[in-house]
Amino acid sequence: MAAASRITRPVALYARCLAVQIKAVLEYQADFWILMMSSVLMNLVGFVFLWTIFSKIPDVNGWSFWQVVVIYALVIVAEGVGSLFFEGAWNLAFLVNRGELDFMLLRPMSPIAQVMSCAIGMNGLGNLLLGGTLIGISLNHLAIHWTAARIAIALVLLVSAIAVKIGLNLATNASAFWIQSPFGAFAYSMHQLGDLARYPITIYALTVQALITVALPFAFVSFFPAAAVFSKNDWRVGGVELPLRWIGLATPLVAAYCLWMGVFLFRRGLRHYESAGN
Amino acid sequence: MRRAYVMHAKLALQQMFAYRAGFFLGLLGNLFFLLSMFYLWKVLLTNPRFAHALGWNWSQMKAYLLIGFVTGILVSTFTDFTMANRVRTGDVALDLTRPIDYQKARFSETIGVALFEFGTAVSVGAIVVAVFGGMQPPTLQAGLLFAVSLLLVVPLKFGIIYMSGLVCFWTTNYLGVVWSRQAIVNIMSGALVPIVLFPGWLQTLANVLPFQAIVWTPGRIYLGTLQGSEALQSLAVQAAWGVGLWFLARLMWKVAVRKLVIQGG
Repeated sequence: MAAASRITRPVALYARCLAVQIKAVLEYQADFWILMMSSVLMNLVGFVFLWTIFSKIPDVNGWSFWQVVVIYALVIVAEGVGSLFFEGAWNLAFLVNRGELDFMLLRPMSPIAQVMSCAIGMNGLGNLLLGGTLIGISLNHLAIHWTAARIAIALVLLVSAIAVKIGLNLATNASAFWIQSPFGAFAYSMHQLGDLARYPITIYALTVQALITVALPFAFVSFFPAAAVFSKNDWRVGGVELPLRWIGLATPLVAAYCLWMGVFLFRRGLRHYESAGN
Repeated sequence: MRRAYVMHAKLALQQMFAYRAGFFLGLLGNLFFLLSMFYLWKVLLTNPRFAHALGWNWSQMKAYLLIGFVTGILVSTFTDFTMANRVRTGDVALDLTRPIDYQKARFSETIGVALFEFGTAVSVGAIVVAVFGGMQPPTLQAGLLFAVSLLLVVPLKFGIIYMSGLVCFWTTNYLGVVWSRQAIVNIMSGALVPIVLFPGWLQTLANVLPFQAIVWTPGRIYLGTLQGSEALQSLAVQAAWGVGLWFLARLMWKVAVRKLVIQGG
């Protein structure tokens, strides 16, 4: 009983915090629709871009149109889950800048959970809608031999890929404890670095590949998990053939590392934090 | 009267210097985007069929992408975000009581900021050229026409961001408006894909909209695929859109100011 409530209580609290945010959002319905439509439009433009390119060319570095669409859609879905359930991470810079983090430190709930649940991005709903549709259509076009094991692996990889993005969001936003800025400008530019993982990363120079595979592993949000599901092998690094599909299977480990890094940097930052005062 | 507008431009430029850290981090984002485009197009152009459909080689495409980068930073999101913020906080009430024209004041600010944006975009562009090298230089005539074309991008983009800023007189959430605008400008200006590669219907649509004059027109003038009377005609179209949007914005302002709800007090 006690053990169970140790897990269910924080989750229930987190859901309560988000529910309050939903009420706040629904107060301004026009804003809700604008945000949703804009996120669909933005990601649709990226799809039109891919579609235009692939109408002239059969594949990019051995990746077909629908395979690239899956990579692209995984980024959209991961961003969508981040916006819907963990949008508050983007508010950290503002909270630190205004000294409003102080209130959260006094309440009997984990500060990380409070920060993460202090906002909701309804645009995430548009992301999930479009990203989910694109993945569905793509998988329908790709002749993948689905076995029970492959389905299970695909689901684990999907959840891990999303966790990678959320961990990286938290880690990059934790920079707000050191970089003074009223909005998460640094985290946002790193988020745009992550957009490099919308295409097969084999197109990039080795340093760029290393940057988004090792330093900030955005490639594990999309490229590597997709490679594992499609059983891809063609990844040459300096003349050496690397087993792409096996690296993709390491996504859960990378996810654990990213989440750990996010929590670690947040706690480190909290120790560093001196209130801006009220 | 004129001094008031010059003052607006100066103040905006100073503000830009004060908040340069945020601006440079934003620029980093644009740079990552440029980087992904460079690598992607480099791979795409190794396919002879693709290169043939586009009609440009890698060196020309690099120049085109770089022009997209510069015009993307020029007149980006200072004026509209300031407008949106002042509506949200209610400070816009002060702007309305001032004895100067609201639209001209915003345009002055945009000019001030544009000087800063242009300076940094060109310096960063020069570094990119140094790193990636081998970019096609324009002929003298093309270079001069290109400079005029780049200048004409300023009033045109002002019209677009000013009107999207005015949308805030109706809605308090500006983020969605900015995203939509960026998405439309990105695809319809030819910044993502040169318009020649679009399917027929999309090309037709792009050509009747003002956005193609932001990247597609200056890009082709620079590369010399638009020459002589054709180039002059495109410049006239650019100018016409700049003027047209200015007056369209005037109309929109008349409606918007009646809709405006002043917050706070």
